[in-house]
Amino acid sequence: MSGRGGESAPDPTAPAIAFERVSKWFGAHAALRGVSLAVAPGERVVVCGPSGSGKSTLIRCVNRLEAHDEGRILVEGIEVDDDPRRVRAIRREVGMVFQSFNLFPHLSVLENCILAPMRVRGMARAEAEELAMSYLARVRIPEQAEKLPHALSGGQQQRVAIARALCMRPRIMLFDEPTSALDPEMIKEVLDVIGELAETGMTMVCVTHEMGFARRLADRMVFMDAGEIVEAGPPERLFRAPEAPRLRDFLAQILRD
Amino acid sequence: MSPSRGPERASRPALARRPRPPERYADARPGEIIAASPGVAALGALGFAATLFVLVWLAWRGSRDLGYAWQWYRVPHEIFRRVGGGWQAGPLVEGLLVTLGVSLRAMVLALLLGLATAAARLAGTPFLRGLARAHIEIIRGTPLLVQLYLFYFILAPLVGLGRFWTGTLALAVFESVFAAEVMRGAIRSVAPGQWEAARALGLGERTIWRRVILPQTVLPMLPPLAGILVSLIKDSAIVSVISVFDLTNQGRNIISDTFMSFEIWFTVAALYLMMTLSLSTLVNGIERRVRRLRA
Amino acid sequence: MAALAGGLAYVAHRFGSVLHYRWDWGSLGGALLHWSVAHHAWRAGLLLEGLEATLRLALWSSVLTFLLGFGFALCRISRSLYWRLLGGLYVGFVRNMPLLVFLFLFYFFLSSQILPLLGLDRLGHGAGPAARFWLGLLFGPPRELSAFVTGVFCLALFEGAYVAEILRAGLQAVPRGQWEAALGLGLGRRETLWRVILPQALRASLPALAGQVILLIKASSVASLISIPELTYMANEVSSSNDHVFETWTAAAALYFVVCFGAASLFARWERARGTALAAGPRA
Ligand SMILES: Nc1ncnc2c1ncn2[C@@H]1O[C@H](COP(=O)(O)OP(=O)(O)O)[C@@H](O)[C@H]1O
Ligand SMILES: [Mg+2]
Repeated sequence: MSGRGGESAPDPTAPAIAFERVSKWFGAHAALRGVSLAVAPGERVVVCGPSGSGKSTLIRCVNRLEAHDEGRILVEGIEVDDDPRRVRAIRREVGMVFQSFNLFPHLSVLENCILAPMRVRGMARAEAEELAMSYLARVRIPEQAEKLPHALSGGQQQRVAIARALCMRPRIMLFDEPTSALDPEMIKEVLDVIGELAETGMTMVCVTHEMGFARRLADRMVFMDAGEIVEAGPPERLFRAPEAPRLRDFLAQILRD
Repeated sequence: MSPSRGPERASRPALARRPRPPERYADARPGEIIAASPGVAALGALGFAATLFVLVWLAWRGSRDLGYAWQWYRVPHEIFRRVGGGWQAGPLVEGLLVTLGVSLRAMVLALLLGLATAAARLAGTPFLRGLARAHIEIIRGTPLLVQLYLFYFILAPLVGLGRFWTGTLALAVFESVFAAEVMRGAIRSVAPGQWEAARALGLGERTIWRRVILPQTVLPMLPPLAGILVSLIKDSAIVSVISVFDLTNQGRNIISDTFMSFEIWFTVAALYLMMTLSLSTLVNGIERRVRRLRA
Repeated sequence: MAALAGGLAYVAHRFGSVLHYRWDWGSLGGALLHWSVAHHAWRAGLLLEGLEATLRLALWSSVLTFLLGFGFALCRISRSLYWRLLGGLYVGFVRNMPLLVFLFLFYFFLSSQILPLLGLDRLGHGAGPAARFWLGLLFGPPRELSAFVTGVFCLALFEGAYVAEILRAGLQAVPRGQWEAALGLGLGRRETLWRVILPQALRASLPALAGQVILLIKASSVASLISIPELTYMANEVSSSNDHVFETWTAAAALYFVVCFGAASLFARWERARGTALAAGPRA
């Protein structure tokens, strides 16, 4: 690797994401405290932890929606820093799905999906539409392509948001509590789509409170509290034999119901 | 004349069927996903100061080349002058007092008229309601200047009104429409549950108005009404057209005597700025306190 | 109620007995339309000519107002403190002073310092009759062009500050998640602003912007004070020449009302139609 942050072409052999002693403050409040974590290519990581523990901040630092204050973050070998070229290169390769969907309300479902491929990848409209329709079919709502987002249910909107991110053909996907804003009956349809995606070998980091889902899907589970990674390991072990008392409390609370 | 007020905003269509989780940190400025660092910000402030300096310098030099003689030293004389041993208000301060006098009187009248209009719209007979609507639409559909001329050329000679009161009345009638909208909005924003609860307690209609509904409208009404006073101060400049000697008119007079156009207009603008900014600061203070009281 | 009736009765009494005012709406006809013997056609009278100038003034200053307002709104939401300060200074300065003061200040500045440099008076001299007709329709008589341009700039610079605030509020009301989603997809700031944020902001600000156009039409009456022959100016001329003050000013007010109220109603209807269309959503 060349000097500090010089690289701007992705290196597929490097760790997909590497956090090296990353800290982040909001004013005097530390949201991340020296977090280190390496995500291998194709690995599926689930992040859990109580509200306010820094889970969102952690994954939002990956595509620079938040700027970290200390330490380094490398995405496929590219350092995440202030250089807008590198930031855009990273954002092209990293897809993100938000808790509140964030579909563009003035654009139809199809237009939501083709905007970035056309504007960022320079794809022709016909090609972009074909691509978008194939992903909309994969999330099982091709028939809604012409509708505006507000005409869809929450679960459908979230599946569109997933398709929209996939249309950029990212190698890494970040999910920030993708089902927390959904009615219970819609959670499954979204989790199924994410589960299928996991089987394609995509690198994924998913913040979620769906423990059954985490157990089935994750290669590794990361438990955060107060801006730190308290414990990490295979989900089976974390569920069976949690070491940290904080994790034990957390699991007890979340699995009670 | 009062560009701060458009038609009431249409409510935006809901984006999703079910309520969304609250946006994170809605108070963060959307443009600044990543804000500039303090160093860059300091550079910006410096650059801004430099730009201002260059602009002022260019204006000064340009005007000198065109033969404009700056005479700032004569301006203080127009604000305060020394007469005998004491100080006396110069024409600008006299004008300022007239502006304040017109605005405050017009405000009181506008409140009374606005109250009547709002009451007519909310509780009047169909005839009164229609009258109030017509009043509002006509005032909103014509320029303040034309209204002022109508008052000046027609009403004033009819009832023998002086210029000062003609201007005051025209401003009051104009602004009463906005006062009425504020009051109507405040009354309608009282939750319907309040009516139901009061009726369920067996209170009479009159008691409900006096003891339950109106007291709740006073606090939320204060900030927008103060905003109307700010608009009134600005709009009152129009009375200079019918030779009321307010701040603007005093400015025009001084300029016709001394030809110090830039100096006087900038001073007049600064005096208006002083009045409106100090009032706005006050309004913000009230607003914050009101919000705290209601929280 | 009784007070109102009493007041009206008193005013009527004064009309009849004290001033001996003689109503004569007929005298007004010529100020609206008159038969031109020379042209063998109906010609617009002074008041209608004034209305035409008012609409011209409002049209061009609206266009310029929106450009300026948009520019300053962008300044106000910029990440750079420099642009924010610049936009804040302009908006704060303009919104806290009377239109009249602003007008006199800029009229003097523009007409004495800037416009002579532009040489507008010579414009359109070489134009053919067709070009002249269109130029006249869009910008008014060439000999009044520099006054007209001054008026347009004054109004636009003033109202631009208010439009900037409307647009800034609209832009900042777009949820932060929209920025994040677009940036997260790899779009640049400019593309995000242009394709994602601005369309939503415009939609939300449309009612306020339409209201601003109506306010602009009304504000243009002040241009009469810098001798631009628009409706209010013409009404002044007519009323002082025909001595029928009441009829003339009523007619002028009515003309303004028709334009403003008409525009507001049209917009409200369009907005309602659009609102229902939006709520229904396009069906596949
Ligand atoms: N933009 C922000 N401004 C101020 N504080 C923030 C901001 N974003 C997050 N925080 C704070 O940082 C901490 C971690 O937040 P977050 O990463 O959203 O937690 P989680 O996603 O685990 O619930 C919280 O205490 C939160 O209040
Ligand atoms: Mg979170």
